[in-house]
Amino acid sequence: MIQLKNLYKQFGARMAVDDLTLQVPPGEIYGLLGHNGAGKSTAIGMMLGQVWPTSGEVRICGHDVTAHRRLALQKVGAIFESPAFYDYLSGRRNLEILSSYTAATPRQRIQEVMDWVGLSGREDTKVRTYSHGMRARLALAQALLPHPELLILDEPSDGLDPEGIHEMRQTILRLHRELGLTILLSSHLLNEVEQLCSRIAVLNQGRMVFEGPLTATKQGEQWVRLKVGDFSAALGHLRAAQLIQGERDGKFIALQPEVGTDQVVKLLVERGMPVYEIACEEQRLEDFYLELMNGAREVKEANG
Amino acid sequence: MLYRHLRNELWKLFGKKRTYIGFGAFVLVQSGMLLMFRFGRVRAEMERTLAGNGYLAREYISTLTVALIMLIPQVALLMPLYAALVGGDMVAKEAEDGTLRMILSRPISRFSLLLVKWFAGVIFAALLVIVLGGTALALARIWFPWKGMFVSWPGIGFNVLSAATGFKLYLWSISFMALNASVAVGIAFMFSCFNMKPAAATILALSVLFISMVLENIPFFEPYKEWFPTYHFHTWIRIYSQPTPWDAVTQTLCILLAMNLTTFLVGAAAFQARDIKS
Repeated sequence: MIQLKNLYKQFGARMAVDDLTLQVPPGEIYGLLGHNGAGKSTAIGMMLGQVWPTSGEVRICGHDVTAHRRLALQKVGAIFESPAFYDYLSGRRNLEILSSYTAATPRQRIQEVMDWVGLSGREDTKVRTYSHGMRARLALAQALLPHPELLILDEPSDGLDPEGIHEMRQTILRLHRELGLTILLSSHLLNEVEQLCSRIAVLNQGRMVFEGPLTATKQGEQWVRLKVGDFSAALGHLRAAQLIQGERDGKFIALQPEVGTDQVVKLLVERGMPVYEIACEEQRLEDFYLELMNGAREVKEANG
Repeated sequence: MLYRHLRNELWKLFGKKRTYIGFGAFVLVQSGMLLMFRFGRVRAEMERTLAGNGYLAREYISTLTVALIMLIPQVALLMPLYAALVGGDMVAKEAEDGTLRMILSRPISRFSLLLVKWFAGVIFAALLVIVLGGTALALARIWFPWKGMFVSWPGIGFNVLSAATGFKLYLWSISFMALNASVAVGIAFMFSCFNMKPAAATILALSVLFISMVLENIPFFEPYKEWFPTYHFHTWIRIYSQPTPWDAVTQTLCILLAMNLTTFLVGAAAFQARDIKS
């Protein structure tokens, strides 16, 4: 659905996107991660033909965006951080204007989409009276109007309150489930990406430092949270029995390969130590991301 | 499709309160001018001039004469300012607000988008001048009769015209004013296509017009005056010369149209080359 090949974008002396190559297959919710200024929005700008690549190729729905923008964006909807509208016009009029740049949209379709995003009853109210959440829903409505196959969401939860973030997450999942859309989600909210995406790419200073399925980010060291009366005494017993290979934060242990939590509990109980809680701790995307960024920083420092 | 996009642009333009405030301000100034003419000294001076040349003042202090007098300061000062304000906003304001990015995530070419925006600007300029010309006539008709027209202006001399000829030339002058306004919109529009704030585009356009006006009036530049856009802006009043210099008028018409085309193409080239970022 999206193919970027050896994409570069330079603004003056600064390389905003540096040799970016990625593919977003149809039906995927694909996360584009990175800190502010990592190159996410520039990459999205190039996908939408708003930013001209210095070199490289961008293909959307099989068409080269630079050469055949009209064809490439026919089935694409997009939302940007802090969506902008004509505040002095009604929500409906905004949708009429924005959707008409793709194709003439029947009034009924506009109503249908407004109902879908939950803006019924406020269609004819001026957008300047809309709350931040309502603007986000209107942004979603305009993205859905051309019956898209691909949705590009650039920081869609930016500026939303926790309830709004939750609502946006549910909507994205619903869109994927009910309409089968391919979704490219750019965000620096790792928790959101973790809950939504099946595959991610991480950008750092314009370069892609990771690309792969989300499950691949969780294959690091397996940590187990252990709650006992005396953690240090428990560690002594476990080390003596060679069941663990490490510990951290006074509550986590790393088991030796092939060792299960049942063996840990059995040993501690046999040594007369009550076990109040034991649970496997999955590696979070945040840990993976921070490791990546630290690694990249170390490499940069090493290179002077 | 172009019709749909043009309709969008007109919705945007005429959906703003500011558009109507501008029109309202013009009508207010016109009313002030009318009161000054009705009760001030200008009327008495004009009557003396007419009488001194052997004409009956009551035959030529008419709706058409007064309407034309009401238009002069507006065309010289207010209209370029307002046209530049609107032209400067057309692309730069949308880029600043972020709505341009929303539009350009759609399958529309930048050139098509600019073309409809420019057309909307031209329609606005024409409408502005038609409204100005119409309200000037309507307001002047309140106190003055529909009779012959008297026009006196440096370069065109002293002319008296019948009501029918005067009205015909008045309509012509309105068309030229519309062209002037479209050039002012076009210059601001061109700057607005570059990566700059709307206010900067407006100020640059006004600076171009102001510098042109100043240079045009410096004796040293007399041989080159036809190179300055504002020189051609005076055609709206030059057409009242008797006989009307249609060859010079046609030449000016071509120059103003070419100026419009040039500013549009320069703007389009700049817009095509730039990156649209938030």
